[in-house]
Amino acid sequence: MQTKPHFAFFDEGSKKEIRRATLKAVAIPGYQVPFASREMPIARGWGTGGLQLTLSLIGKKDVLKVIDQGADESVNAVSIKKLVRHTTGVALTDQTAEANIIQSRHRIPEEPLRDDQILVLQVPNPEPLRKVDAREYMTKRMHAEDDYSGAWLILFEQIIKYQKMTTGAAHPVYVNGRYVMAPSPIPRFDNPKMHASDALILLGAGREKKIYAVPPYTKVESLAFEDFPFTKESFQGKQCNLCGAEDVFLDEIINQATGDRIYQCNDTSYCVDRLNHSEEKEVENSYA
Amino acid sequence: MAIDQVHDLQQVYRNLLDCMARPATIRKVEQTTGLSEEQLPCNEALFLCALTVLDAEVSFCILAVDGKTEKLAEMITSYTLARETSMEQADFIIVLQDAVKDQVHKTLSVCKMGNLINPQQSATWMIEVENLSNNGGLTLHGPGVKQFKQLQTGCSDTFWQTRNRKVKEYPLGIDLIFADQLNQISCVPRTTSVELTEVS
Repeated sequence: MQTKPHFAFFDEGSKKEIRRATLKAVAIPGYQVPFASREMPIARGWGTGGLQLTLSLIGKKDVLKVIDQGADESVNAVSIKKLVRHTTGVALTDQTAEANIIQSRHRIPEEPLRDDQILVLQVPNPEPLRKVDAREYMTKRMHAEDDYSGAWLILFEQIIKYQKMTTGAAHPVYVNGRYVMAPSPIPRFDNPKMHASDALILLGAGREKKIYAVPPYTKVESLAFEDFPFTKESFQGKQCNLCGAEDVFLDEIINQATGDRIYQCNDTSYCVDRLNHSEEKEVENSYA
Repeated sequence: MAIDQVHDLQQVYRNLLDCMARPATIRKVEQTTGLSEEQLPCNEALFLCALTVLDAEVSFCILAVDGKTEKLAEMITSYTLARETSMEQADFIIVLQDAVKDQVHKTLSVCKMGNLINPQQSATWMIEVENLSNNGGLTLHGPGVKQFKQLQTGCSDTFWQTRNRKVKEYPLGIDLIFADQLNQISCVPRTTSVELTEVS
């Protein structure tokens, strides 16, 4: 006999604990609030933080979207969706506009988020100062003392070595002018989307047992120097080979046989949406 | 109808989170406790907020007239297993409308406000008020507020002046949750800058 799981997997005590930490996180933007981080049926470091946030938020009427590296159909996204569906029975969607809770790994959707949506980001390494000091005791102290010289120094060293800032993902940001925060491993391209966002952004790190948040309309600045301003990844002159989108985050795909490079939208639901839309227009305009 | 600990409290939490993320936003809590006014020493929204966040891991302190304090403390303890403690140590401070002003101000200055290493170890206030509205009163700025917003809580100027002193050394400070007679809630976290404007 299979027993029915409790609604949203957790017992109510666990939810309460996560909820209390989340409320505190929202009240102190960018500060990593420690929480208990329960054992989950997926491995730590694979989205347990995001999943715990989602489960603490979700109710019967919610519509959930989960993306992994911009895709709705990759393994991590599908497994998380299945677990939440199995334990709550909520509706799932691929459409960014239809969802009111969006759990994401590595991307913020291309479509601008609304104020009735909550973005939950999965974070593997929440501590922007971990490279500076391995001890939690010390990094907590640095945050307390507003001592971010280490974070600046990491960027400075990159500039000295490579003449540019080489952060591939998780370029650190200043939140509300006080805390330096790792914005989860999103590309630099997505950093500006966090600034004064309409949607509430919650970040959860399950393995590191931290919850933090960026409330809507909050100042989020990427760390940069006067003579080395912050730059997004540039896709100038390139476009998606499927839908022709420009000014979106593109994946580079190399043809192994010919060595040709093609580019494709990283946000799959955005790409499919555009394709469907252009097809509809084609049908409208044809007189066949 | 009795309260559903799973689904009703989830709804209350989402309203709370929305209000905390967007200070001065007023949300109506649709859930009911199923308790009559005689049974409940405070308004329903306040009790629902308490049920949503309190459990055996946290402590609370109640500011109200004698008699009511004991009754509400007993109810909260039996519903949530949270323990009652002094105002200096409480994680949650619950203030009823009839609380003595001097006591409220004293509690404001002595309650927990966290420390620089652990600013989250601060008290969250739950305050029962008559009526919440966005017409006049205070002008609010800060994270979660687009440009500015107004909020009227009915709390005294002295209260807000003391609160402003308490949050001066950000990230230290206290977060406030207001609950009114019409089942509405609103929040003012520590990041919000509160300007006292002339009472309109």
